[in-house]
Formats: sequence, C-alpha cells, structure tokens
Amino acid sequence: MATSTENIADTPDTAETDDYLTYVEGVGNIPRDIYKHVKSDPLGDLPRYSMHIVIQHFMTFVTFLILAATGLTLHFADLWWAPYIMSLFGGPDVARFIHRFAALLMVIASVYHVFTIGGGIIYSLMKKKFNFRRTQIPVLKDIQDITHDFKYFMGKVPHRPKMNKFMYKQKLHYFAIIWGTFVLITAGTTLLFPEFMSTIWPNPQFAQDLARLMHADEAIMAVTVIVFWHWSNVHLVPGRFPLQWSFITGKITREHQIEEHFLEYLYNIEEIPEEKEYIKKVLKEKGLSTD
Amino acid sequence: MKALPRASRLIALFCFSVFLLISFTFTPSYAADVGNCLLCHKYPGISRVDEEGKLRLFYVNESIFSNSVHAKVKCEGCHTDIKKIPHDVAKKVDCLVECHIIEPSSEKKFSHKDVKEFLGKSVHGPIDKEGKEKKYIEDYPTCKDCHDNPLYRPLSFFKKVRPGISEASLGRCRVCHKKEEFIYRFYNHVTTRLHKSRNPLNIAEVCARCHDNPEIVARHEMSTKAVFSYGETFHGKAARFLDERVPDCLDCHISKGESVHQMLPKEDPASSIHADNKGKICTNIDCHPSASPKLAKYSVHAEFNLKQSPAQYFFTVFFIILTGGTLLPLMFIILLDIIRRFFPNATIGRRK
Repeated sequence: MATSTENIADTPDTAETDDYLTYVEGVGNIPRDIYKHVKSDPLGDLPRYSMHIVIQHFMTFVTFLILAATGLTLHFADLWWAPYIMSLFGGPDVARFIHRFAALLMVIASVYHVFTIGGGIIYSLMKKKFNFRRTQIPVLKDIQDITHDFKYFMGKVPHRPKMNKFMYKQKLHYFAIIWGTFVLITAGTTLLFPEFMSTIWPNPQFAQDLARLMHADEAIMAVTVIVFWHWSNVHLVPGRFPLQWSFITGKITREHQIEEHFLEYLYNIEEIPEEKEYIKKVLKEKGLSTD
Repeated sequence: MKALPRASRLIALFCFSVFLLISFTFTPSYAADVGNCLLCHKYPGISRVDEEGKLRLFYVNESIFSNSVHAKVKCEGCHTDIKKIPHDVAKKVDCLVECHIIEPSSEKKFSHKDVKEFLGKSVHGPIDKEGKEKKYIEDYPTCKDCHDNPLYRPLSFFKKVRPGISEASLGRCRVCHKKEEFIYRFYNHVTTRLHKSRNPLNIAEVCARCHDNPEIVARHEMSTKAVFSYGETFHGKAARFLDERVPDCLDCHISKGESVHQMLPKEDPASSIHADNKGKICTNIDCHPSASPKLAKYSVHAEFNLKQSPAQYFFTVFFIILTGGTLLPLMFIILLDIIRRFFPNATIGRRK
C-alpha cells in the first residue's frame, strides 16, 4: 500500500501507521475504520477545546461577522445593496462606532488567546507534559498527511491518514487567522489613528495607501476563506452538517475524533480511563479484543 | 333634514366668505411673485419642446421656491428680458445682473459680479495668467454649471447643533425685529451660510459633472477622475452614505477663509494643495490636528492602476494572487473531500 508515512517516527504509534490495525497496550488492535461502529453523542464525547478557547471563538466569530457586515458595506459603498445594510446599522456614524467597538472586542479576544496559549504552554512545560504534536505547530507530517489525504480522495488508499489533534486543514486555517488578524489590526490601527501612526511609520503616506488597500483586500480574503473553506469544512460537508456542537461544548464526537484525529484519540485512550473501557468493550463486541 | 332659514343661510355664507378672505389674507404672501408669473407657471404640466427638440419644463413649485435662497428675489429680478405677459422666449438668466436687493453693509445694489472676478483668477477661470484664453474654453464652468437655486437648510443652534429652526433662538431675534417674515428669512440666510448647505456627496456630484467626464479629463490632461478616486478613499465611501463629517472636494481644495470661487491650481504656491501647503489640510483643527505633515502626502486621488500608482497596484495584485492562491487549492481539497464523502467507493486508479 502506498503511504508516505514510512520515514517519520513522530509518535510511538507511528510504527503502525500504514497498518489497518493499531496496537495499543492494554486495549488491543484498533481497526482504522472503528469509527463506523462507535457510539457518538452529537454534543461531543471527548475533550477538544478549553472553555477559554470556546469563549475566544465565540468572541471572534461574532465580532468577525459584525466587522465584515459593517466594513464591507462601507468598502462596497457604491453597490446597490450597501445603503440598505448601512441603514440597518443606523447609518455611517453608528456603523463606524459599531465597527470600532467590534474591532476592540476582537483585539481583546486575540490578546486573550495569546495569553491562554502562552499560559497553557508554560503550564504544560512546567508539568513536563508539553507535546508539540498536539499543538498547532506545523510539522513535516502535515504535508505527508495532505498527500495521503489526496490519495484517499482519489481512491488510491482505503483510509484517511492518522492525524493529530490539529490536522493540516486546521493548521492552515489557524495560521491564516493569525496572518489575517495581524494584517487587519495593523492596517486598521493605521486607518483609525492616522495621526499617531504617522509618527511611527517610516513612510506614513505610503503606509496609509497600503493600509486602506490591505484592510479591505485582507477582509475580502478572510470572508471568502471563512465562507468557502471554514463553513464548508465545519458546516456543509456531509457528516458535519448543519454544525458541530464543539464550538459551544468544547467537545468532539468520538466518531469524528477517530476518523480525522486518530492519533489524538490514542492519547484520549491513555488519558481517560472510561474511554479505554469503552473502546475495549467495542472491540470485544467486534471480536477484536486481545483480552 | 330641515332646511336652514334664509337668514341662517346668509349668515353661513357670510362666515364662509370671511373664512375664505382670512385664509387668503393670512396665507404667507410670496413677495417674489409680484408679476403674477405663477398664474401660468404654477401648472406642473407647463412645458414646450425647444428648437433643439428637448422637452423643457417651466413649472415653478411655489412652496419649494419660497424656501430657496432666491425666494426674496422677484422673478423679474433675474428674468430681466420679460416685460409683458404672455412673454416671448426668455433668455437664459445672467447671474451677474444687479438685483433689487440692497446689500446691507455697503448699501449698494446686490450682484454676483465679484464672484466672477474671483472665479476668473482661479483654476476654473477661462483666461490664463498671460491673459490668453485657455484651451477648450467651453469646458470651463460658469455659475449655473455648479449652482442651482438651493433650498435653505436651517440649522438649529440653541443647545445642540442640529437641522431645523431653533424656536429658542428665534425668541431672541423677536426682541428687536418685529417682522416675522424677515426674522425667518434672516435666520435661514445666516444659518445656511454658517454651515455647508450641501452634504459632501452633493458637492462631489457637482464636481463629478466635469471631473469624472472621461472626455474632459483626457482633454485637459488631468491625472485622475477626481471624484471616482475620492470615492475609493474612506472619506469618499462615507460620503456616499451621506456622512456629513467627512471632508469633500472643497475642504481640501480651498484655502481657509477663501471662497470656492478662488480655488487655485496645485502649481500655485498660494494653493491649499500646493506641496508645501498640503500638510495644513489634514492637520486642520476639525480633522486630524496632531497628524504629521507627511500624512498629507498620501495619495488621495490614487486610482491604483499600473500607470498612476504602480506600487499600490502591485500590492493589490499580490493580495488577489494570495486570495486566489489560497482559496483555489483549498476549494480543490474540499471538492475532493465532498466527492469522496458522497461516493465512498468511487476510484480513479485501482486500489491494491
């Protein structure tokens, strides 16, 4: 079978990544397609996001929608629908205030996120539990996962790659958000405080020009990526439609975890005794248990 | 119903006549129409097809006219060639005629002649500094290319500045001035002149008549379609939503304390948009007082095309490529993913 995972030894489990069965100490051989046979609570079974992340996502997506609605209406001021949306927000003076207030909330969410992630890393380092494979840090395996997934989509391999907590799609998206937030905050600050920023930028007039192009272009890019990429992945794709409750509960369904984040599921088995018992039971029922 | 007795009917008729008389007497009298022009011009359909085949409307809406800045001027004040009714084809109004109004500070008959002098020396004047006629002289604006007969846009002043007439302020006028009509007119006149009578979008639209006309822009070798490029800035975008607080064309192109008619070309050292003076525009007390003068050098009229501003153009192209380059591969992955989910057993190559 053609897979591209031979040369990585990322996790103790990768030795078996090509194989249909994954042996886990004390559990037995777990088949790759076991997710078709497990029970899942739609609200989620396994921990994925902390409450902080849930709050940050909430803040970000609410402010994002408000910012896009007010900002793009201004950007496309000459289109027929713009005056209607603008009056919905109470005219340019009110929309201006709403846009800036939402922006402030988004900046707060971003700072909050940086503190959460920073604090989380320090905490896990102190506990000597830090594992970069369970973070958003991109690794070589992600590229191999993409090629593997392509092969799966083309029907060349029977199963999807065994991926970590954050698969290549999520890492791409995460770094897109970091880039987008950085660009938008920088450009937005330049537009909102032209006086102050003109004392900082080496070439203020050029910075102004770029800022107004950047702010709008990046916003359009963000909106298209969110609509076509994020919404497809988390809302529209069969199996995820109409939404996943992870964004409120912070939990992922067992089926989803095993399908797309198999390696993370192995950590779950290790860390959560109930999960270990559950998967053992399922394997026993299927006659795959080693016990 | 029993018919009213004869005397009662007479009394009723009398009362009705008195009511009619009173209502006509006390209807605000529109002094402008001494010549009784509205006898005909009050009919909305009044029109004719002129020699060029254009339909011309001659309807005068009395209530709108009486709220306009020229309400006090008699029809004959401007249409001086009309001496009898019915009249012949009227000439176009010459804004430079002396009208009957006496200018109170000089006590001379009022005229717009001074404005013509201002305009003549400005960038919009048809004669250049050497006294020669400029090229395409027919493109240069005269009064009526920009001005119609605008309505009063009164501003209420008492505690807050907002549109409308402040009854509280009027109370102060009444202490000295007795004539109600004068008070309203004077109030309207002063407050209309104290602020802008048009919003930024209106102003931009006036300038766009020539400055966005591609033929005129090309003929006069202007660097941009000015209102189009203004519309690309955040100022212009907000103006489109009738925002009053954003700067319009006139805020930058006229030096403080001067009239619109004194606008100068950017090469003139006295011009507000001359490279040395540009900084003062942005740092105006109402706008960005603490801005660095460098800020003023930003491209207000950038069209961001390859010819005019290549750096910005390539920056935009970069973002388009970035967006397309990110989105298209991602969409391709999604498409494959969806196909696989709908048809789990479909395959191109044979599975081992």
